[in-house]
Amino acid sequence: MKKVIALVLAALMVFALVACNTSKDDPSTSAPDASSSSDATEKKTLVMATNATFPPYEYKDGDNFAGIDVEIAEKIAEKLGMTLEIQDVEFGSIVGGVQTGKFDIGMAGMTVTDERKQSVNFTDTYTTTKQVVIVKEDSAIKSLDDLKGDGSMKFGVQQDTTGDILASDTVDNGGYGEENVTRYKAATDTVQALKTGKVDAVIIDEAPAKSFVKSTDGLKILEGTWLEEQYAIAIAKDNTELLEKVNTALKELTEDGTVKSIIDKYIPAE
Amino acid sequence: MKEWFADLSKKFMLCFIDKGYWKWLVEGFRNSLVITFFAIIIGFVFGVVLATIRSSYDKNEETLKLRGGLGYWLLKIVNAISKIYITVVRGVPVVVQLMLWYFVILVSQDNGVIVAIVAFGFNSAAYVAEIFRGGIMSVDNGQFEAGRSLGFGYVRTMVHIIIPQAVKTVLPTLLNEVIALLKETSVAGYVGIMDLTKAGDLIRGRTFEAFMPLFAVAIIYLLTVIILTAVFTSIERRLRKSER
Amino acid sequence: MNDKVLIHVEGLKKHYLGGKVKALDGIDCDIHQGEVLVIIGPSGSGKSTFLRSLNLLEIPTGGKIVFDGHDITDPKTNINLHRRKMGMVFQHFNLFPNMTILKNMTIAPMKLLKKSKAEAEKKATELLERVGLADRANSYPSQLSGGQKQRVAIVRALCMEPEVMLFDEPTSALDPEMVGEVLDVMKELAHEGMTMAVVTHEMGFAKEVATRVIFMDGGKILEEGTPDEIFSNPQNPRTKDFLSKVIV
Repeated sequence: MKKVIALVLAALMVFALVACNTSKDDPSTSAPDASSSSDATEKKTLVMATNATFPPYEYKDGDNFAGIDVEIAEKIAEKLGMTLEIQDVEFGSIVGGVQTGKFDIGMAGMTVTDERKQSVNFTDTYTTTKQVVIVKEDSAIKSLDDLKGDGSMKFGVQQDTTGDILASDTVDNGGYGEENVTRYKAATDTVQALKTGKVDAVIIDEAPAKSFVKSTDGLKILEGTWLEEQYAIAIAKDNTELLEKVNTALKELTEDGTVKSIIDKYIPAE
Repeated sequence: MKEWFADLSKKFMLCFIDKGYWKWLVEGFRNSLVITFFAIIIGFVFGVVLATIRSSYDKNEETLKLRGGLGYWLLKIVNAISKIYITVVRGVPVVVQLMLWYFVILVSQDNGVIVAIVAFGFNSAAYVAEIFRGGIMSVDNGQFEAGRSLGFGYVRTMVHIIIPQAVKTVLPTLLNEVIALLKETSVAGYVGIMDLTKAGDLIRGRTFEAFMPLFAVAIIYLLTVIILTAVFTSIERRLRKSER
Repeated sequence: MNDKVLIHVEGLKKHYLGGKVKALDGIDCDIHQGEVLVIIGPSGSGKSTFLRSLNLLEIPTGGKIVFDGHDITDPKTNINLHRRKMGMVFQHFNLFPNMTILKNMTIAPMKLLKKSKAEAEKKATELLERVGLADRANSYPSQLSGGQKQRVAIVRALCMEPEVMLFDEPTSALDPEMVGEVLDVMKELAHEGMTMAVVTHEMGFAKEVATRVIFMDGGKILEEGTPDEIFSNPQNPRTKDFLSKVIV
């Protein structure tokens, strides 16, 4: 028993040490942050965190990263005179990593939400997207109105996406109830689960939805929009310098049509 | 220091209390335990069967050849199948196996926890089999002959005499397997199950706090492993009593 | 001793490596009920292999063994049923280390003969009393001396009420001062009329207790007779040679 107590105490000590370190990252408690952010502008690489399972925004094409976000980020880095370095992490780790300065920017088809705004700043919106619902072609679910959180159907979502957060909320709050939502790590798995009948409907962004439906037989997108949302780039709250620079670059890229041409390349207009 | 504590408790409330996220940890932990518990039972039973087949063949190939007949060929075939099974299972990452069970083999089974139990159970069996084979082979052949000469058949000698002795020798290694399995279940999130790790991930994804949820998850795993170790040590001590 | 043949051995062979090594090379032998057969011979002569073949711990490559009217070398025979009636004592005791002495003795009668626990323990306790080890019933084998272990091994076999007892060098692994206590138990058993086959180097025991002695070498029986015939007047030169080396 003594041994157990000793181990717990040791663990708590580690906990305390780690906690001390994290508190130093808090902008309110430490002054040297200004200098550290100027370090960031001097450095030549722009570290972007993404989750490359979300075509056409970001995915792996062979050994390389490709997608709308990847190409826009490359253009931004170019404008900033930096080289882009992409880190492929879990979607749920992106905001936290940006917040602590592990990554400079988070760009992963990320919707601006109030909750996320508490932790990070967002740049101006670079594109608007819709969340849609995919079902099997022969599904009994014929329209968005048929979607119900009464236990008669299961919803598949990618873990930590807006679809997950909204759908797994209670029915009273406009969701379908957590018990009716199955969360997968990757968007491809949600579609796989739909195909094999593990879930009845998948809530997913419109653009990847289209490419999944195109490449997979027997699936269709329900008519209408489940949710409309705006994508922006996440940047740490204390790094306002970078935020301004990225916003300027983004503005230039939007005005000269670069952003639109990149999006059109991946999502052909209907 | 005061500020630091205030900040810490604010984060603690945010991560676990305010929105009831602690319930995820409870559910996730329960699922992790359920998966580990039933998987180790499958792994143990099936693993012992595999180990018995493998060691029977290794031990008695010569003798059985002499007795000849169907028994020899049957054992030879079953042994070959067991060997292939063990090789394949040990050669493929468990998360890949889990996805195969979920998306390909057990397509009609919608309960992810059951799929995970099956996947982890049959994965663990391969490891338990090799652990036990070592244990069985380490029991002195004289024990075997004593059992047989009293009139116990092959299987009953194994069950009543050899395996109880093998269990004792493999217990520490078996504990390793249980610990490894518990921690391996952290990939269960890939098939839509809420396990302990995923519970932490979800809290992270919603609060954007990395430290609190990760630390909570780590401490729960750690305490579980400490308790498991204590339980195994006491079983071992009790079994060793006979051989001072 | 009567005329009933309990074990009939005919042309028994055990060849390895396609006949290059002949551990047993054509053994013919009958063991009668109540007989105490002592098998002697130099090491590597095949005497242990012969004894261990009698309950098929070694599978012969040729010949046959008929026990109590059943051909046990026939693969269709259920050897487990016949082994129950053939008690065996090993050089290294082979007690089960994870069980108490009592459990060692009761496990087989309970599991195989379906005896009740009380019944099996009563019988075991009686036997332990006879060999003077009643107070060790709840000890574990590791707590016993070599001689005590071997006495337990003998009574463990007796718990199955065998028709014949096979002893494979029962005193070879013992310290010299413990040999006597084991031989005493064996002698007592012989006097009670138990059929016994004993492989041993204890020539004194052979002389005193055996009804018949077999001398083996090179996988063959070279000579057999009463102890008197073998020890006082051996015919075969190899027997003479062997006895001159072992008898002081």
